[in-house]
Amino acid sequence: MIQISISEVQMTVTNIAGITSLLAFWAFVLGNISKWKIKIYQGAEILILIGFICLTAGIIIRGFEADRFPLANLYESTLWFAWAILGGYLLLVRQFGQNQLGWLASLLSTMFFLYGSWLPGNQQTITPLVPALVSYWRQIHVPPLIISYALFCLSGLASLLQLWYAGRLRSLALAAITITLAIGAICLGTYTSIDTAWLQLLFVGSSLVGMFLSWKSLPKIAPARVNTQKAEIYDEISRKSISIALPLLTFGVITGGLWANHAWGTYWSWDPKESMALVTWLSYAAYIHLRIHHELSAERLSIVSIIGLILTLLTYLGFNSLGFGGLHSYGRFK
Amino acid sequence: MSGPTVSDRIIARQDLLSAPAFIIYSEKVKAWLSNSLASVKLTVFLISLMAVFVLLGAWCPQTSQSGQDKVFEQFGEQTGQFLINIGIANIFRSPAFLLLIGFLTVNIIFGSFKHVFPKLKLLKIPMPWLTANQILKMPVHNEFAADISLSETQNRLSTYLNKKGYKVNFNGQQLTAEQGKFGRLAPTVTHIGLLTLLAGVIWTSLTGFSGFKPVIPGEVFQFDNAEHAQMWLGKLPNWSASVSETHREDYPSGEPKQWYSSIIVKDKNNKVVKEQTISVNEPLSYEGVDIYQSSWSLKALKIRFGKELRALSLQPMGKLFAAFLPLPDEAVMIFSVRDAKAPVRIFAKRKDWPAPKLLTEILPNKTASLGNISLTYEGTIAQTGLQYKCDPGLPIVFVAFAFIIGGISLAAIPHRQIWAYLEKIDSGNTLVTIGGTSKKGKISFAKQIANLDDQLQKVSTA
Repeated sequence: MIQISISEVQMTVTNIAGITSLLAFWAFVLGNISKWKIKIYQGAEILILIGFICLTAGIIIRGFEADRFPLANLYESTLWFAWAILGGYLLLVRQFGQNQLGWLASLLSTMFFLYGSWLPGNQQTITPLVPALVSYWRQIHVPPLIISYALFCLSGLASLLQLWYAGRLRSLALAAITITLAIGAICLGTYTSIDTAWLQLLFVGSSLVGMFLSWKSLPKIAPARVNTQKAEIYDEISRKSISIALPLLTFGVITGGLWANHAWGTYWSWDPKESMALVTWLSYAAYIHLRIHHELSAERLSIVSIIGLILTLLTYLGFNSLGFGGLHSYGRFK
Repeated sequence: MSGPTVSDRIIARQDLLSAPAFIIYSEKVKAWLSNSLASVKLTVFLISLMAVFVLLGAWCPQTSQSGQDKVFEQFGEQTGQFLINIGIANIFRSPAFLLLIGFLTVNIIFGSFKHVFPKLKLLKIPMPWLTANQILKMPVHNEFAADISLSETQNRLSTYLNKKGYKVNFNGQQLTAEQGKFGRLAPTVTHIGLLTLLAGVIWTSLTGFSGFKPVIPGEVFQFDNAEHAQMWLGKLPNWSASVSETHREDYPSGEPKQWYSSIIVKDKNNKVVKEQTISVNEPLSYEGVDIYQSSWSLKALKIRFGKELRALSLQPMGKLFAAFLPLPDEAVMIFSVRDAKAPVRIFAKRKDWPAPKLLTEILPNKTASLGNISLTYEGTIAQTGLQYKCDPGLPIVFVAFAFIIGGISLAAIPHRQIWAYLEKIDSGNTLVTIGGTSKKGKISFAKQIANLDDQLQKVSTA
């Protein structure tokens, strides 16, 4: 009789989730060029649903395997992130019925599956918790943060689509290049030994230049591509994602403060990771103020949301891969 | 919308016209200041500037947290010195950052009183009754004929909107419905939270204190060296604490799982008033002061060389602790120990040896001979790192946290208002004119209004 360990079961269901996510991406791409668009989209959504269910099982099994709440290292956080991306997409598509976000969401979750599985061994294996992490606060503080990061990213992706349907192709291309370079810097920081100073320069430099150029290119419109109704829908999807993510980020940051106060006697110590979370919070606070007071057009708000996406990536992964220090160094691998 | 009416403005203008020039000028300056300081553009600018400052603070190691060495280690001597000189290496205590916080505080206060708190009045104002023509001018509207009587239409519309979470009111043929009214409180509640947070932080800085104390078992400590603000209204406690015992709990693999310290608190008359074993995440609280288990290490090794007892200072070396005893001819004796219960391993290292050589291992309270010297290992001295703080503003900060979370969560609730006008037409049918507004979730709201005739049919069949 074949004996299967709990670890193998966990790896199998997680791999199924990764593969279905990849297949969903190609299905969405195929759907865009096929005449059976609707049916292929439906198939892709079923694949995403299967991936979501498998990943839910994978995370729960990981918890049993580790005999603790399964969110204690970078690998586990990438599983939660991919889970939130898939779940968030399913909720948004149910409410708004828009499939174009599907290929971006499944691409992002696939990238996170790959990122997680290529992490160094010390970031994947189940290791004992350091004393500071032995607390019930871990399961209160961390999941809302990871889910908020995923929803902010979905919001940024919806904003890219908003730019597409608003005919802002040049702005879109510049924003997409900027995000690609930012992700590239994070990947180089994770998998190579390139000096982090150069990678910080690549991340920050490309983000500043790219988003500035993207902002300045907004007046360039491709009228043939404009679909006002769809642009409005993706603007609304972006707003909706932020309206859920911001309370989660606020809750995560505040519970982090409460935990720090409980463990170390101070709720705020300007640790780099908490400072970065504050920067992200501030960027979305600015977004909310700009939105409520109608200070900017939907396209400019999309650029603000994309800047928020880049800051979210910096807070979540850039912190570890680009060589910052501080109290939240559990995910570091350098 | 609230605010002065046209007649209020005319009266105010007439008052100004009859006032002396300096009053007019000062009123204008006041108005300009009030508008500028409460400006949303200023808010966004200050938030963005603060984000840049915080980003710089996250990027550059802060000397207040990790000392100057970390800055030099990360950026080299020249760049590190430059960052220290221009204040980036201690940015959160720099005058520029404190000025920015001050500006943001002023902006929050002015913005709250000018834009945010006045909106509370809107909650009390009932929705006006609108005619069909007024409803048709709304950006989201629909008009359809329902093949049911006016009273039946009223019933179904009311049932349907109630099910969707609207509070419905009728005035003859007119209907108003409102949903998510409390979502409008989001900015008010959040701003109250931010102002309360500032109050809590200021109160703590005026009355609180904190500090760190490495303590060995048996040592008594007080709070004389506590850090507090220069302008301070608090007082230090007159009681003391001591550590009776401290130890480390390990995982089977040898990594530390938890640190424990048994604390005894004595009042000024030396009477024991509290005893508690603390660990990371489990502090002791007494009379407003909290004592936290912050770090732990082995401080020294007790070795008796013949009859002479010496305490050798230990340094952490990964999972181990090591003490170094210099010997003649640049040789060194190394004492390595894993924890208090493990044996000490003694190595010797000479300059010409490629690696240290293990000489012997001695269990606690056992003796071994090295040449003609007997060595007795009499155990280790542990040192516990205790963080303490008194934070009188903390309850205010907790209330602020609750307000901020509550306020931002309220922002997710869409506030929607619907108006309808029902009119009896031929053969007992009813003409329904319906429209409304929603600042959030506009698309789903528009769908809801557009599909209302179908939905009313379903209500009838249900």
